[in-house]
Amino acid sequence: MSGRRIILPWVGLGILAAALFLFQVYIAWPNGRDPVSAHLQSVILEYAVLPRAAVAILAGAALGLAGLLLQRVLRNALAEPSTLGISAGAQLAMAVATLYAPMLMAWSVSLVAFAGGIAAVAIVLALTWRRGLEPVSVVLAGMMIALTANAASAALILANGDYLFSLFIWGGGSLVQQSWDPTIVIASRLAVGLAAALLLLRPLAILGLDDASARSLGVALHASRLAIVALAVWIATTVAAEVGVVGFVGLAAPALAALSGARTLGQRIVAAPLIGAILLWATDGLVQLTAGVSGERLPTGAATALLGGPLLLWILPRLRMMEWPMLARTIVVSHRAARPAVLLSLAVIGLVFALIAALLAGNGPDGWFLANGDLLADLAHWRLPRILVAAASGTMLAAAGVMIQRLTGNPLASPEILGVGAGSGAGLAVVLLVSASAGLAWQIGGAMAGALGALLIILTIAARGRFGPERLLLGGVATGAVASAIVTAVIAMGTSQSYVLLAWLTGSTSQADFGQAAIAFAFMAPLVGASLFFSRWLDILPLGTEAARSLGIPLAAARLSVIMTTALLTAIAALFVGPLSFIGLIAPHLARLLGLGRARHHLIGAMMIGATLMVVSDWLARMVAFPYQLPVGLTASMIGGPYLIYLLSKGVAARG
Amino acid sequence: MDKDSARTREALLELKDVTFSAGAVLILKPVSLALRRGVMTGVIGPNGSGKSSLVRLIARQQKPSSGEIRLAGRPLDDFRDRELAREIAYLPQFTPPAEGMTVRELVALGRFPWHGALGRFGPQDAAKVESALERTDLSGLADRLVDSLSGGERQRAWLAMMLAQDTSCLILDEPTSALDIAHQAEMLALVHMLTREHELSALVVLHDINMAARYCDELIAIKDGEVVARGAPQVIVEPETLGKLYGLPMGILPHPGTGQPLSFVS
Repeated sequence: MSGRRIILPWVGLGILAAALFLFQVYIAWPNGRDPVSAHLQSVILEYAVLPRAAVAILAGAALGLAGLLLQRVLRNALAEPSTLGISAGAQLAMAVATLYAPMLMAWSVSLVAFAGGIAAVAIVLALTWRRGLEPVSVVLAGMMIALTANAASAALILANGDYLFSLFIWGGGSLVQQSWDPTIVIASRLAVGLAAALLLLRPLAILGLDDASARSLGVALHASRLAIVALAVWIATTVAAEVGVVGFVGLAAPALAALSGARTLGQRIVAAPLIGAILLWATDGLVQLTAGVSGERLPTGAATALLGGPLLLWILPRLRMMEWPMLARTIVVSHRAARPAVLLSLAVIGLVFALIAALLAGNGPDGWFLANGDLLADLAHWRLPRILVAAASGTMLAAAGVMIQRLTGNPLASPEILGVGAGSGAGLAVVLLVSASAGLAWQIGGAMAGALGALLIILTIAARGRFGPERLLLGGVATGAVASAIVTAVIAMGTSQSYVLLAWLTGSTSQADFGQAAIAFAFMAPLVGASLFFSRWLDILPLGTEAARSLGIPLAAARLSVIMTTALLTAIAALFVGPLSFIGLIAPHLARLLGLGRARHHLIGAMMIGATLMVVSDWLARMVAFPYQLPVGLTASMIGGPYLIYLLSKGVAARG
Repeated sequence: MDKDSARTREALLELKDVTFSAGAVLILKPVSLALRRGVMTGVIGPNGSGKSSLVRLIARQQKPSSGEIRLAGRPLDDFRDRELAREIAYLPQFTPPAEGMTVRELVALGRFPWHGALGRFGPQDAAKVESALERTDLSGLADRLVDSLSGGERQRAWLAMMLAQDTSCLILDEPTSALDIAHQAEMLALVHMLTREHELSALVVLHDINMAARYCDELIAIKDGEVVARGAPQVIVEPETLGKLYGLPMGILPHPGTGQPLSFVS
């Protein structure tokens, strides 16, 4: 990294932000002839325009500081409030509190948000503790927590309608102000945070080294690390509670500070908040500028994610990943089935049994019953398409999961993380934005286009030969964040389309018909076939780049075809069951646990398990809250989440 | 395998003015070398001298910044991926965990360059796998999981995979770094024997000069990205060369049994 300082662009951006601010002041300047409107205008200036600029600057600085602290103590260049699930956790906590403990919200919103954020971080750290908090795993776990929390929030909002809708608008991160209170709150936290960071400068510098050196230098390792994480969460959730989720500033500010030549920690503690403040102030100025035409629709937080995502993709190759040897690698002796064919047959039988049970068994007005005869014929018309769609989606997600885990050699990788599912949501959102009454064909087309767009970005990253699988995953995370920002922005508009997207976010198959089932199978057959053709590659790819190259695998072509197939499988499945289900993560694990080690057996076994799990989830979604229906995607993740936590906490995460 | 003595003398691998740089840093200064069949060549030198870079270039894990590498007279770049993998087998410095795989399955992956992604794993492939297992004395462990093996056995399993690959050239990057002295000796003796019997050309990066001198036919000494000495162990392992190589006064003693030179820090 060069030693030169890059200050000029920041001065320029700062001047731009200031000019945008002065323009707003100019517009709002009291010039009314009659005293009443002049007074009103001066109130607007004093209590809306000025505090908004102050909040933008302070929130940006606070997020920049929080991001810097998190990145430093976790030694993870990608840690920030949104990649660690802190913001999503805060949002979920606030939704739950609003519904079930309103007095908590009345008492202290920021405390509720802090509780949610710290819980999310605690889960992420607990999940990855055994892997030595290795950065990629931390980010993957964070994204999983964030996705789950978002889906749960969406389900709560759907179930409670308008009452909670304002929360989703909040989720977009709007900086609109009516008083100076948030400014004062954020300013006080920022001051405390900065003071603490300066006091902790030395331990922070040492925590940037590896554990062994930090310990041998006499730092109380875990205590100081957790204290600093808590401090960062406190700062970040204060911002979240006051203005909502503002993505990417916490990620971009420290990275840009480093790229601009802030080398020592002391320099970065000054530079990162400054850059964060300039970034958010300028973005907010631009948002206000565009708002003039059609009223303010794009929340600033969503705008920062839209601008920040591409920025992250640009930064990624320039960022030096911190070295992170696998200190806590435990060699796991996995178990192998003596006769995989028998196991596979059993898996097929299990799937068939689940299919039949899901079709026949049901809860009705008169209690439980098994359908037969005419009733079955009637019910099949409703049940069968859902079951088929669920089975196909489960199969596709499982196949995608096996491939992405084997490609990256990371057992925490899953198709959800590739950002393709979120990409199809963004496509869907754009179609619905253009025409609220768009038919299914248009919706499918939009979702496919969105998925392909996300895919193209990921492929561009993968095509850069120097990109290892880990950077591919991180590129997927960035792509997913941008796509989610688009979905959030459209939802936050609060129109009828918002509910379609919310329903998609939770993963609902309630509208499945035979047409959809046919589409699902038409895509599934060739894609799953292709994945079986790749099985020899998939045997070798987990051994890493060097071994694969030395065995003569055409690496670029192999990776490209595997990624392409994975992305298509994910896109089709996400269209039907939403962006989140954990099936793509769990089915490959279960197949591995059963002792299916070779790629071909692993694929087939995982697909059977995935289909079975999804059919069971769909059945549960129909039955658990009868006569109401739960979204199948959310149900599946409610089954999968706890299993995953159990698996990871036992540390039996065998490498893909 | 036909024993053509003329073939043995001609160079299998030729490097001509090969350099390698990462960014602005020149890691390998122009190197010209020739490697012959039936010869085990050791690469020695201090840390960061460019040993690994050199062998990685020959294994086409990295592309040279300039210069040309030829294999059997053809530029390395002309070879297709699998075609090259039928000629050169490479063992990386850190072998990845092969979790959930049996020894036989790992060794069978060595046949990939021959049957490809969709081709049939035929009886000839199976025979090569069995013979590789036998030669590395792994037949008894063939159905064990690679994870459950000891460090030495695991290293042998990877060597068996390279043998199943049936190449004319073996490249090993510090194959003994994780092994105790008995396993180091065993591994190097095995490579040495294979090099003789099958007229392979072997290129081995080693840290231990005495081990290198004991088993290699020829040594290449690299310092600061430059080949500073090359020749038989007796020529390289002498106080002046070693002193220059490591920047440390070194002494030599004859091996009491074989008379080979043994180095020590004086």
